Amino acid sequence: MKEVAVVGAGMTLFASRMMETGKELCWEAAKQALDEAGLSLQEIDAVIMGTAPDAFDGIHKKGENLLDGAGGANKPYMRVYTGGGTAVMTPIAGWWHIASGMFDTVLVVNEEKMSSARPHAQSVFAHIWDPILDRPLRPNLVWIFAMEMQRYMHKYNVRKEDIALVSVKNKRNAVDHPCAQLADPKITVEDVLNSEPMALPVRRLDISPPSDGASALVLASLDVAREICPDRIVTIDGVGWCIDTTMWTNRDLAFPKFLARAADQAYRMAGIKDPKKEIHIAEPYDPFNYKELQHMEGLLLCEPGEAAILTREGVTQRDGRLPVCPSGGLLGVGNPIAATMGIKVGEIYWQLARKAGKRQVRNDPVTGVCQAWGDLMQFSSVLVMRRR
Amino acid sequence: MEKISKPTEIKHQLGHMEVDHYHYTVGLAGERFFTALREEGKLLGARCESCGVTYIPPRIYCEECFAELDEYVDLGLEGEVRSFTIARIDRDGRPLDPPEIRALISFGEDTTDLLHLLGEVEPEEVYIGMEVEAVLKPKREREGKVTDIRYFRPIK
Ligand SMILES: [Zn+2]
Repeated sequence: MKEVAVVGAGMTLFASRMMETGKELCWEAAKQALDEAGLSLQEIDAVIMGTAPDAFDGIHKKGENLLDGAGGANKPYMRVYTGGGTAVMTPIAGWWHIASGMFDTVLVVNEEKMSSARPHAQSVFAHIWDPILDRPLRPNLVWIFAMEMQRYMHKYNVRKEDIALVSVKNKRNAVDHPCAQLADPKITVEDVLNSEPMALPVRRLDISPPSDGASALVLASLDVAREICPDRIVTIDGVGWCIDTTMWTNRDLAFPKFLARAADQAYRMAGIKDPKKEIHIAEPYDPFNYKELQHMEGLLLCEPGEAAILTREGVTQRDGRLPVCPSGGLLGVGNPIAATMGIKVGEIYWQLARKAGKRQVRNDPVTGVCQAWGDLMQFSSVLVMRRR
Repeated sequence: MEKISKPTEIKHQLGHMEVDHYHYTVGLAGERFFTALREEGKLLGARCESCGVTYIPPRIYCEECFAELDEYVDLGLEGEVRSFTIARIDRDGRPLDPPEIRALISFGEDTTDLLHLLGEVEPEEVYIGMEVEAVLKPKREREGKVTDIRYFRPIK
Protein backbone atom coordinates (compact mmCIF):
# COMPACT_ATOMS: atom_id res chain seq x y z
CA MET A 1 0.00 0.00 0.00
CA LYS A 2 1.34 3.46 -0.90
CA GLU A 3 1.57 6.13 1.78
CA VAL A 4 -0.51 9.26 1.11
CA ALA A 5 0.07 12.93 2.02
CA VAL A 6 -2.05 16.07 1.94
CA VAL A 7 -0.14 18.71 -0.05
CA GLY A 8 -2.70 21.50 -0.46
CA ALA A 9 -6.08 22.76 0.74
CA GLY A 10 -8.48 25.53 -0.19
CA MET A 11 -11.96 26.75 0.59
CA THR A 12 -14.42 29.50 -0.35
CA LEU A 13 -16.28 31.80 1.97
CA PHE A 14 -19.19 30.01 3.68
CA ALA A 15 -22.37 32.13 3.41
CA SER A 16 -26.11 31.63 3.51
CA ARG A 17 -26.51 32.67 -0.15
CA MET A 18 -23.80 32.86 -2.79
CA MET A 19 -24.12 34.38 -6.26
CA GLU A 20 -21.63 31.90 -7.75
CA THR A 21 -22.87 28.72 -9.42
CA GLY A 22 -21.86 25.42 -7.80
CA LYS A 23 -19.24 24.95 -10.52
CA GLU A 24 -17.75 28.39 -9.86
CA LEU A 25 -17.53 27.64 -6.12
CA CYS A 26 -15.77 24.34 -6.90
CA TRP A 27 -13.23 26.05 -9.13
CA GLU A 28 -12.42 28.74 -6.56
CA ALA A 29 -11.67 26.14 -3.87
CA ALA A 30 -9.86 23.72 -6.20
CA LYS A 31 -7.67 26.45 -7.66
CA GLN A 32 -6.55 27.54 -4.17
CA ALA A 33 -5.68 23.96 -3.20
CA LEU A 34 -3.68 23.43 -6.42
CA ASP A 35 -1.85 26.74 -5.95
CA GLU A 36 -0.88 25.75 -2.40
CA ALA A 37 0.35 22.37 -3.66
CA GLY A 38 2.23 24.06 -6.51
CA LEU A 39 0.59 21.72 -9.02
CA SER A 40 -1.31 22.45 -12.22
CA LEU A 41 -4.56 20.72 -13.15
CA GLN A 42 -2.67 18.80 -15.85
CA GLU A 43 -0.54 17.19 -13.11
CA ILE A 44 -3.62 15.74 -11.36
CA ASP A 45 -4.31 12.05 -12.12
CA ALA A 46 -7.90 11.74 -10.82
CA VAL A 47 -10.66 13.83 -9.23
CA ILE A 48 -13.09 12.93 -6.43
CA MET A 49 -16.26 14.98 -5.92
CA GLY A 50 -18.28 15.08 -2.71
CA THR A 51 -21.70 16.70 -2.53
CA ALA A 52 -24.94 16.05 -0.64
CA PRO A 53 -28.43 15.24 -1.99
CA ASP A 54 -29.13 16.42 -5.54
CA ALA A 55 -32.31 17.95 -4.12
CA PHE A 56 -30.41 20.84 -2.47
CA ASP A 57 -29.00 22.24 -5.71
CA GLY A 58 -32.04 21.04 -7.69
CA ILE A 59 -29.84 19.46 -10.35
CA HIS A 60 -30.21 15.73 -10.75
CA LYS A 61 -26.79 14.06 -11.06
CA LYS A 62 -25.20 17.21 -9.71
CA GLY A 63 -21.84 15.49 -9.33
CA GLU A 64 -21.73 15.34 -13.12
CA ASN A 65 -22.95 18.93 -13.41
CA LEU A 66 -20.15 20.17 -11.13
CA LEU A 67 -17.34 18.17 -12.69
CA ASP A 68 -15.80 20.77 -15.00
CA GLY A 69 -15.55 23.30 -12.14
CA ALA A 70 -13.91 20.58 -10.06
CA GLY A 71 -11.32 19.88 -12.76
CA GLY A 72 -12.75 16.46 -13.60
CA ALA A 73 -13.16 16.87 -17.37
CA ASN A 74 -11.31 14.10 -19.21
CA LYS A 75 -10.01 12.50 -16.02
CA PRO A 76 -11.00 9.49 -13.91
CA TYR A 77 -13.77 11.05 -11.78
CA MET A 78 -16.22 9.77 -9.20
CA ARG A 79 -18.71 11.20 -6.74
CA VAL A 80 -18.85 10.08 -3.13
CA TYR A 81 -21.87 10.73 -0.97
CA THR A 82 -22.54 9.84 2.67
CA GLY A 83 -24.61 12.90 3.70
CA GLY A 84 -22.76 15.04 6.26
CA GLY A 85 -20.19 12.23 6.50
CA THR A 86 -19.10 13.17 2.95
CA ALA A 87 -16.86 15.89 4.44
CA VAL A 88 -14.36 13.24 5.58
CA MET A 89 -15.43 10.36 3.29
CA THR A 90 -14.31 12.02 0.02
CA PRO A 91 -10.75 12.43 1.29
CA ILE A 92 -10.86 8.77 2.36
CA ALA A 93 -11.86 7.88 -1.21
CA GLY A 94 -9.01 10.09 -2.44
CA TRP A 95 -6.69 8.22 -0.07
CA TRP A 96 -7.62 4.79 -1.46
CA HIS A 97 -7.18 6.00 -5.05
CA ILE A 98 -3.51 6.64 -4.21
CA ALA A 99 -2.93 3.97 -1.53
CA SER A 100 -4.07 1.34 -4.03
CA GLY A 101 -1.21 2.31 -6.34
CA MET A 102 -3.60 3.43 -9.09
CA PHE A 103 -2.71 7.14 -8.99
CA ASP A 104 -0.04 9.54 -7.64
CA THR A 105 -2.03 12.78 -7.38
CA VAL A 106 -5.74 13.25 -6.60
CA LEU A 107 -7.82 16.42 -6.35
CA VAL A 108 -10.72 16.16 -3.87
CA VAL A 109 -13.49 18.78 -4.21
CA ASN A 110 -16.57 19.11 -1.98
CA GLU A 111 -19.44 21.48 -2.77
CA GLU A 112 -22.83 22.43 -1.38
CA LYS A 113 -25.35 25.01 -2.47
CA MET A 114 -28.17 24.78 0.04
CA SER A 115 -29.77 28.10 -0.87
CA SER A 116 -31.22 26.88 -4.19
CA ALA A 117 -34.07 24.86 -2.64
CA ARG A 118 -37.12 26.95 -1.70
CA PRO A 119 -38.79 27.66 0.60
CA HIS A 120 -35.76 26.35 2.57
CA ALA A 121 -33.27 23.49 2.90
CA GLN A 122 -35.51 21.81 5.51
CA SER A 123 -37.96 21.00 2.71
CA VAL A 124 -35.27 18.71 1.26
CA PHE A 125 -34.62 17.05 4.61
CA ALA A 126 -38.38 16.46 4.93
CA HIS A 127 -38.22 13.43 2.66
CA ILE A 128 -35.23 11.62 4.10
CA TRP A 129 -37.59 9.98 6.60
CA ASP A 130 -39.33 6.60 6.42
CA PRO A 131 -42.49 7.25 4.37
CA ILE A 132 -44.72 4.88 6.36
CA LEU A 133 -43.70 5.43 10.01
CA ASP A 134 -41.97 8.82 10.25
CA ARG A 135 -43.33 11.14 7.56
CA PRO A 136 -47.03 11.01 8.55
CA LEU A 137 -45.88 12.54 11.90
CA ARG A 138 -44.15 15.43 10.04
CA PRO A 139 -40.69 15.09 11.59
CA ASN A 140 -37.92 17.60 11.10
CA LEU A 141 -34.24 17.27 11.84
CA VAL A 142 -34.27 19.55 14.84
CA TRP A 143 -36.66 17.54 16.95
CA ILE A 144 -34.85 14.30 16.24
CA PHE A 145 -31.65 15.94 17.48
CA ALA A 146 -33.52 17.34 20.45
CA MET A 147 -34.44 13.80 21.52
CA GLU A 148 -30.87 12.64 21.08
CA MET A 149 -29.55 15.60 23.08
CA GLN A 150 -32.11 14.84 25.80
CA ARG A 151 -30.92 11.20 26.07
CA TYR A 152 -27.27 12.29 26.08
CA MET A 153 -27.79 14.84 28.87
CA HIS A 154 -29.88 12.39 30.89
CA LYS A 155 -27.59 9.37 30.65
CA TYR A 156 -24.31 11.17 31.39
CA ASN A 157 -25.69 13.92 33.58
CA VAL A 158 -24.45 16.70 31.28
CA ARG A 159 -25.50 20.28 31.99
CA LYS A 160 -26.94 22.59 29.34
CA GLU A 161 -24.50 25.30 30.50
CA ASP A 162 -21.51 23.13 29.59
CA ILE A 163 -23.00 22.29 26.21
CA ALA A 164 -23.54 26.00 25.55
CA LEU A 165 -19.81 26.54 26.13
CA VAL A 166 -19.14 24.65 22.89
CA SER A 167 -21.11 27.23 20.87
CA VAL A 168 -19.24 30.02 22.66
CA LYS A 169 -15.82 28.47 22.04
CA ASN A 170 -16.44 27.69 18.36
CA LYS A 171 -18.12 30.97 17.42
CA ARG A 172 -15.25 32.84 19.08
CA ASN A 173 -12.62 30.64 17.37
CA ALA A 174 -14.31 31.41 14.03
CA VAL A 175 -13.43 35.09 14.40
CA ASP A 176 -9.95 34.13 13.11
CA HIS A 177 -11.28 32.18 10.11
CA PRO A 178 -11.43 34.22 6.89
CA CYS A 179 -14.31 32.08 5.53
CA ALA A 180 -16.59 32.29 8.59
CA GLN A 181 -20.31 32.98 8.40
CA LEU A 182 -21.28 33.05 12.10
CA ALA A 183 -18.27 34.26 14.07
CA ASP A 184 -19.06 36.22 17.21
CA PRO A 185 -16.27 37.53 19.46
CA LYS A 186 -18.66 38.63 22.21
CA ILE A 187 -21.04 35.66 22.50
CA THR A 188 -21.72 34.37 26.04
CA VAL A 189 -23.21 31.23 27.58
CA GLU A 190 -26.27 33.31 28.52
CA ASP A 191 -26.78 34.28 24.85
CA VAL A 192 -26.88 30.59 23.92
CA LEU A 193 -29.14 29.56 26.82
CA ASN A 194 -31.58 32.39 26.10
CA SER A 195 -31.65 32.11 22.30
CA GLU A 196 -34.89 31.31 20.45
CA PRO A 197 -36.33 27.92 21.48
CA MET A 198 -36.70 25.62 18.45
CA ALA A 199 -37.46 22.11 19.71
CA LEU A 200 -36.37 22.09 23.34
CA PRO A 201 -33.77 21.53 24.61
CA VAL A 202 -32.46 22.76 21.23
CA ARG A 203 -32.28 26.54 20.78
CA ARG A 204 -31.15 28.68 17.86
CA LEU A 205 -27.53 29.10 18.99
CA ASP A 206 -27.11 25.36 19.60
CA ILE A 207 -27.23 24.83 15.82
CA SER A 208 -25.01 25.55 12.81
CA PRO A 209 -26.61 27.33 9.84
CA PRO A 210 -27.24 26.03 6.29
CA SER A 211 -24.61 27.50 3.95
CA ASP A 212 -23.27 27.65 0.42
CA GLY A 213 -19.60 26.91 -0.13
CA ALA A 214 -16.89 24.62 -1.45
CA SER A 215 -13.58 23.20 -0.29
CA ALA A 216 -10.77 21.21 -1.87
CA LEU A 217 -7.70 19.13 -1.03
CA VAL A 218 -4.79 17.91 -3.10
CA LEU A 219 -3.51 14.46 -2.09
CA ALA A 220 -0.28 12.92 -3.33
CA SER A 221 1.76 9.79 -2.79
CA LEU A 222 4.46 10.30 -0.16
CA ASP A 223 7.15 10.11 -2.86
CA VAL A 224 5.55 12.96 -4.81
CA ALA A 225 4.93 14.96 -1.63
CA ARG A 226 8.64 14.74 -0.72
CA GLU A 227 9.48 16.29 -4.09
CA ILE A 228 6.91 19.09 -4.17
CA CYS A 229 6.65 20.16 -0.50
CA PRO A 230 9.50 18.69 1.56
CA ASP A 231 8.99 21.50 4.10
CA ARG A 232 5.59 20.15 5.23
CA ILE A 233 4.96 16.42 5.08
CA VAL A 234 1.51 15.69 6.53
CA THR A 235 0.35 12.14 5.91
CA ILE A 236 -2.96 10.32 6.20
CA ASP A 237 -2.08 7.48 8.55
CA GLY A 238 -5.47 6.02 9.42
CA VAL A 239 -8.98 5.94 7.96
CA GLY A 240 -12.20 4.43 9.23
CA TRP A 241 -15.95 4.52 8.66
CA CYS A 242 -19.01 2.77 10.05
CA ILE A 243 -22.81 3.06 9.93
CA ASP A 244 -25.54 2.21 12.47
CA THR A 245 -28.98 0.72 11.71
CA THR A 246 -31.49 2.47 9.43
CA MET A 247 -34.13 3.34 12.02
CA TRP A 248 -33.11 6.08 14.43
CA THR A 249 -35.57 4.64 16.95
CA ASN A 250 -33.36 1.56 17.30
CA ARG A 251 -30.08 3.28 18.16
CA ASP A 252 -28.21 4.10 21.36
CA LEU A 253 -28.81 7.85 21.25
CA ALA A 254 -26.39 8.69 24.08
CA PHE A 255 -23.19 7.03 22.83
CA PRO A 256 -22.30 6.76 19.09
CA LYS A 257 -21.03 3.16 18.92
CA PHE A 258 -20.70 3.34 15.13
CA LEU A 259 -18.25 6.23 15.54
CA ALA A 260 -16.22 4.34 18.16
CA ARG A 261 -15.88 1.50 15.64
CA ALA A 262 -14.80 3.85 12.84
CA ALA A 263 -12.30 5.53 15.18
CA ASP A 264 -10.93 2.21 16.38
CA GLN A 265 -10.37 1.17 12.75
CA ALA A 266 -8.50 4.41 12.00
CA TYR A 267 -6.39 4.30 15.19
CA ARG A 268 -5.36 0.68 14.63
CA MET A 269 -4.25 1.54 11.09
CA ALA A 270 -2.25 4.50 12.43
CA GLY A 271 -0.70 2.40 15.21
CA ILE A 272 -2.37 4.46 17.92
CA LYS A 273 -2.95 2.51 21.13
CA ASP A 274 -4.09 5.25 23.49
CA PRO A 275 -5.87 8.05 21.62
CA LYS A 276 -6.32 10.02 24.88
CA LYS A 277 -2.54 10.51 24.95
CA GLU A 278 -1.52 10.19 21.32
CA ILE A 279 -4.02 12.58 19.68
CA HIS A 280 -2.95 16.22 20.08
CA ILE A 281 -5.69 18.05 18.16
CA ALA A 282 -9.22 17.16 17.01
CA GLU A 283 -11.85 18.43 14.59
CA PRO A 284 -14.97 16.41 15.45
CA TYR A 285 -18.19 17.19 13.53
CA ASP A 286 -20.11 19.93 15.36
CA PRO A 287 -23.37 20.74 13.51
CA PHE A 288 -24.91 21.00 17.01
CA ASN A 289 -22.96 21.93 20.13
CA TYR A 290 -23.75 18.67 22.00
CA LYS A 291 -22.50 16.70 18.97
CA GLU A 292 -18.95 17.99 19.51
CA LEU A 293 -19.02 16.50 23.03
CA GLN A 294 -20.65 13.24 21.95
CA HIS A 295 -18.18 12.92 19.05
CA MET A 296 -15.15 13.53 21.30
CA GLU A 297 -16.41 10.58 23.35
CA GLY A 298 -17.10 8.47 20.25
CA LEU A 299 -13.59 9.28 19.03
CA LEU A 300 -12.36 7.78 22.35
CA LEU A 301 -10.61 11.04 23.29
CA CYS A 302 -12.23 10.82 26.74
CA GLU A 303 -14.76 8.73 28.68
CA PRO A 304 -18.51 9.03 27.97
CA GLY A 305 -19.80 12.12 29.78
CA GLU A 306 -16.29 13.54 30.30
CA ALA A 307 -16.17 15.87 27.26
CA ALA A 308 -18.34 18.47 29.01
CA ILE A 309 -15.93 18.54 31.94
CA LEU A 310 -12.89 18.97 29.66
CA THR A 311 -14.73 21.81 27.89
CA ARG A 312 -15.56 23.51 31.19
CA GLU A 313 -11.90 23.21 32.28
CA GLY A 314 -10.67 24.87 29.08
CA VAL A 315 -8.80 21.78 27.85
CA THR A 316 -10.42 22.07 24.40
CA GLN A 317 -9.56 25.73 23.82
CA ARG A 318 -6.95 26.66 21.22
CA ASP A 319 -4.35 27.08 23.98
CA GLY A 320 -5.51 23.98 25.86
CA ARG A 321 -3.99 20.51 26.12
CA LEU A 322 -6.37 19.10 23.45
CA PRO A 323 -7.58 21.85 21.09
CA VAL A 324 -10.98 20.88 19.65
CA CYS A 325 -12.46 22.64 16.60
CA PRO A 326 -9.80 25.37 16.49
CA SER A 327 -11.19 26.27 13.05
CA GLY A 328 -14.41 27.55 14.62
CA GLY A 329 -16.20 24.44 13.41
CA LEU A 330 -19.58 24.22 11.72
CA LEU A 331 -21.07 26.27 14.58
CA GLY A 332 -18.83 29.22 13.83
CA VAL A 333 -17.67 28.93 10.22
CA GLY A 334 -20.85 27.43 8.74
CA ASN A 335 -22.40 24.17 7.57
CA PRO A 336 -22.35 23.66 3.80
CA ILE A 337 -22.61 19.91 4.42
CA ALA A 338 -19.95 18.22 2.24
CA ALA A 339 -17.88 21.40 1.95
CA THR A 340 -17.17 21.33 5.71
CA MET A 341 -14.18 19.22 4.62
CA GLY A 342 -12.30 22.55 4.63
CA ILE A 343 -12.78 23.05 8.37
CA LYS A 344 -12.23 19.38 9.29
CA VAL A 345 -9.55 17.78 7.10
CA GLY A 346 -8.32 21.16 5.81
CA GLU A 347 -7.92 22.56 9.33
CA ILE A 348 -6.01 19.55 10.68
CA TYR A 349 -3.70 19.71 7.64
CA TRP A 350 -3.07 23.46 8.10
CA GLN A 351 -2.51 23.01 11.85
CA LEU A 352 -0.06 20.09 11.45
CA ALA A 353 1.72 21.95 8.63
CA ARG A 354 1.95 25.04 10.92
CA LYS A 355 0.05 27.06 8.31
CA ALA A 356 -3.06 27.96 10.36
CA GLY A 357 -1.98 31.58 10.96
CA LYS A 358 -4.00 33.29 13.68
CA ARG A 359 -5.76 29.99 14.41
CA GLN A 360 -2.52 28.10 15.06
CA VAL A 361 -2.82 26.09 18.30
CA ARG A 362 -0.19 26.35 21.04
CA ASN A 363 0.72 22.70 21.66
CA ASP A 364 2.52 22.16 18.30
CA PRO A 365 0.55 19.01 17.45
CA VAL A 366 2.08 16.09 15.56
CA THR A 367 -0.96 13.81 15.37
CA GLY A 368 -4.54 14.94 14.74
CA VAL A 369 -7.93 13.40 14.09
CA CYS A 370 -10.94 14.71 12.19
CA GLN A 371 -14.39 13.27 11.79
CA ALA A 372 -17.64 13.85 9.97
CA TRP A 373 -21.08 12.50 10.69
CA GLY A 374 -24.12 12.10 8.52
CA ASP A 375 -26.20 9.90 6.24
CA LEU A 376 -29.36 9.27 8.31
CA MET A 377 -27.61 10.65 11.43
CA GLN A 378 -25.91 7.28 11.94
CA PHE A 379 -22.71 7.30 9.87
CA SER A 380 -19.21 8.47 10.71
CA SER A 381 -15.98 8.84 8.79
CA VAL A 382 -12.67 9.30 10.64
CA LEU A 383 -9.23 10.32 9.43
CA VAL A 384 -5.95 10.40 11.40
CA MET A 385 -3.14 12.64 10.16
CA ARG A 386 0.50 13.08 11.21
CA ARG A 387 3.31 15.49 10.59
CA ARG A 388 6.48 13.61 9.60
CA MET B 1 -44.04 -12.10 -4.13
CA GLU B 2 -47.52 -10.73 -4.72
CA LYS B 3 -48.50 -8.89 -7.85
CA ILE B 4 -50.65 -5.79 -7.46
CA SER B 5 -53.82 -5.63 -9.54
CA LYS B 6 -55.64 -2.74 -7.83
CA PRO B 7 -53.06 -0.25 -6.48
CA THR B 8 -55.63 1.86 -4.61
CA GLU B 9 -56.90 -1.05 -2.53
CA ILE B 10 -53.60 -1.95 -0.87
CA LYS B 11 -52.47 -0.09 2.23
CA HIS B 12 -50.26 2.81 1.28
CA GLN B 13 -49.16 6.28 2.27
CA LEU B 14 -49.37 9.17 -0.20
CA GLY B 15 -46.34 11.43 -0.31
CA HIS B 16 -45.02 14.39 -2.26
CA MET B 17 -41.68 16.15 -2.57
CA GLU B 18 -41.83 19.24 -0.39
CA VAL B 19 -39.42 21.53 -2.24
CA ASP B 20 -41.64 24.15 -3.78
CA HIS B 21 -39.20 25.49 -6.39
CA TYR B 22 -35.52 26.19 -7.03
CA HIS B 23 -33.65 29.44 -7.29
CA TYR B 24 -30.69 28.87 -9.63
CA THR B 25 -28.14 31.70 -9.68
CA VAL B 26 -26.53 32.28 -13.09
CA GLY B 27 -23.15 32.85 -11.46
CA LEU B 28 -20.42 35.44 -11.99
CA ALA B 29 -19.83 34.77 -15.70
CA GLY B 30 -23.58 34.29 -16.23
CA GLU B 31 -24.24 37.79 -14.88
CA ARG B 32 -21.95 39.22 -17.60
CA PHE B 33 -23.41 37.08 -20.38
CA PHE B 34 -27.08 37.67 -19.65
CA THR B 35 -26.65 41.39 -18.90
CA ALA B 36 -24.90 41.92 -22.27
CA LEU B 37 -27.63 39.91 -24.03
CA ARG B 38 -30.46 41.88 -22.44
CA GLU B 39 -28.94 45.37 -22.53
CA GLU B 40 -26.82 45.33 -25.68
CA GLY B 41 -28.14 42.37 -27.68
CA LYS B 42 -24.63 40.86 -27.68
CA LEU B 43 -23.42 37.28 -27.30
CA LEU B 44 -20.27 37.22 -25.16
CA GLY B 45 -17.69 34.46 -24.86
CA ALA B 46 -14.60 34.06 -22.66
CA ARG B 47 -11.25 33.22 -24.21
CA CYS B 48 -8.46 31.03 -22.81
CA GLU B 49 -5.37 32.05 -24.78
CA SER B 50 -3.15 29.22 -23.55
CA CYS B 51 -5.64 26.51 -24.60
CA GLY B 52 -6.96 28.43 -27.60
CA VAL B 53 -10.59 27.85 -26.59
CA THR B 54 -13.46 30.33 -26.44
CA TYR B 55 -16.35 29.39 -24.15
CA ILE B 56 -19.91 30.45 -24.95
CA PRO B 57 -21.56 31.20 -22.61
CA PRO B 58 -18.45 32.58 -20.91
CA ARG B 59 -16.94 31.09 -17.75
CA ILE B 60 -14.70 32.40 -15.01
CA TYR B 61 -12.34 29.44 -15.49
CA CYS B 62 -10.96 27.29 -18.30
CA GLU B 63 -11.97 23.68 -17.72
CA GLU B 64 -8.84 22.42 -19.51
CA CYS B 65 -6.12 24.34 -17.64
CA PHE B 66 -8.05 26.00 -14.76
CA ALA B 67 -6.81 29.48 -15.71
CA GLU B 68 -8.97 32.35 -14.52
CA LEU B 69 -10.78 33.86 -17.52
CA ASP B 70 -11.56 37.56 -17.37
CA GLU B 71 -11.34 38.48 -21.04
CA TYR B 72 -14.81 38.72 -22.56
CA VAL B 73 -15.16 38.79 -26.34
CA ASP B 74 -18.15 39.75 -28.50
CA LEU B 75 -18.82 36.73 -30.72
CA GLY B 76 -21.37 38.44 -32.96
CA LEU B 77 -24.77 36.95 -33.75
CA GLU B 78 -23.76 34.69 -36.66
CA GLY B 79 -22.75 31.05 -36.56
CA GLU B 80 -23.29 27.74 -38.30
CA VAL B 81 -25.21 24.55 -37.60
CA ARG B 82 -22.94 21.79 -36.26
CA SER B 83 -25.74 19.29 -35.63
CA PHE B 84 -29.55 19.34 -35.44
CA THR B 85 -32.68 17.31 -34.78
CA ILE B 86 -36.27 17.74 -35.89
CA ALA B 87 -38.64 16.94 -33.01
CA ARG B 88 -42.04 15.71 -34.22
CA ILE B 89 -43.54 14.57 -30.90
CA ASP B 90 -43.26 16.12 -27.44
CA ARG B 91 -42.28 14.46 -24.14
CA ASP B 92 -45.80 13.07 -23.69
CA GLY B 93 -45.97 11.71 -27.22
CA ARG B 94 -48.23 14.45 -28.64
CA PRO B 95 -47.53 15.59 -32.23
CA LEU B 96 -45.58 18.83 -32.64
CA ASP B 97 -46.96 20.77 -35.61
CA PRO B 98 -44.98 22.52 -36.87
CA PRO B 99 -42.04 20.36 -35.72
CA GLU B 100 -39.39 21.97 -33.48
CA ILE B 101 -35.86 22.14 -34.82
CA ARG B 102 -33.11 22.11 -32.19
CA ALA B 103 -29.52 22.73 -33.17
CA LEU B 104 -25.98 23.14 -31.89
CA ILE B 105 -24.71 26.48 -33.14
CA SER B 106 -20.97 26.90 -33.66
CA PHE B 107 -19.33 30.34 -33.51
CA GLY B 108 -15.96 29.18 -34.83
CA GLU B 109 -13.65 26.17 -34.80
CA ASP B 110 -12.08 26.84 -31.41
CA THR B 111 -15.38 27.84 -29.75
CA THR B 112 -17.80 25.71 -27.73
CA ASP B 113 -21.35 25.35 -29.12
CA LEU B 114 -24.61 26.96 -28.05
CA LEU B 115 -27.79 24.88 -27.96
CA HIS B 116 -30.82 26.66 -29.46
CA LEU B 117 -33.83 26.51 -31.80
CA LEU B 118 -33.96 27.13 -35.54
CA GLY B 119 -36.79 29.20 -37.08
CA GLU B 120 -37.91 30.69 -40.41
CA VAL B 121 -36.74 27.49 -42.11
CA GLU B 122 -38.43 24.29 -43.34
CA PRO B 123 -37.19 21.08 -41.67
CA GLU B 124 -36.07 19.55 -44.97
CA GLU B 125 -33.95 22.65 -45.77
CA VAL B 126 -31.70 22.34 -42.70
CA TYR B 127 -28.19 20.96 -43.20
CA ILE B 128 -24.94 20.74 -41.24
CA GLY B 129 -22.82 23.77 -42.03
CA MET B 130 -25.83 26.02 -42.71
CA GLU B 131 -25.03 29.63 -41.83
CA VAL B 132 -27.46 31.10 -39.33
CA GLU B 133 -28.01 34.29 -37.33
CA ALA B 134 -29.67 34.94 -33.96
CA VAL B 135 -33.12 36.56 -33.91
CA LEU B 136 -33.45 38.43 -30.61
CA LYS B 137 -36.61 39.54 -28.85
CA PRO B 138 -37.09 43.33 -28.87
CA LYS B 139 -35.17 44.93 -25.99
CA ARG B 140 -38.24 45.73 -23.87
CA GLU B 141 -39.20 42.03 -23.86
CA ARG B 142 -35.75 40.72 -22.95
CA GLU B 143 -35.32 39.33 -19.42
CA GLY B 144 -31.68 38.25 -19.35
CA LYS B 145 -32.42 34.60 -20.22
CA VAL B 146 -31.31 32.26 -22.98
CA THR B 147 -34.83 32.62 -24.41
CA ASP B 148 -34.08 36.31 -25.15
CA ILE B 149 -32.84 34.71 -28.38
CA ARG B 150 -36.06 33.62 -30.13
CA TYR B 151 -34.21 31.29 -32.50
CA PHE B 152 -31.50 31.21 -35.17
CA ARG B 153 -32.53 31.59 -38.84
CA PRO B 154 -30.69 31.02 -42.12
CA ILE B 155 -28.67 33.98 -43.40
CA LYS B 156 -30.29 34.92 -46.70
ZN1 LIG C 1 -7.13 26.92 -20.73
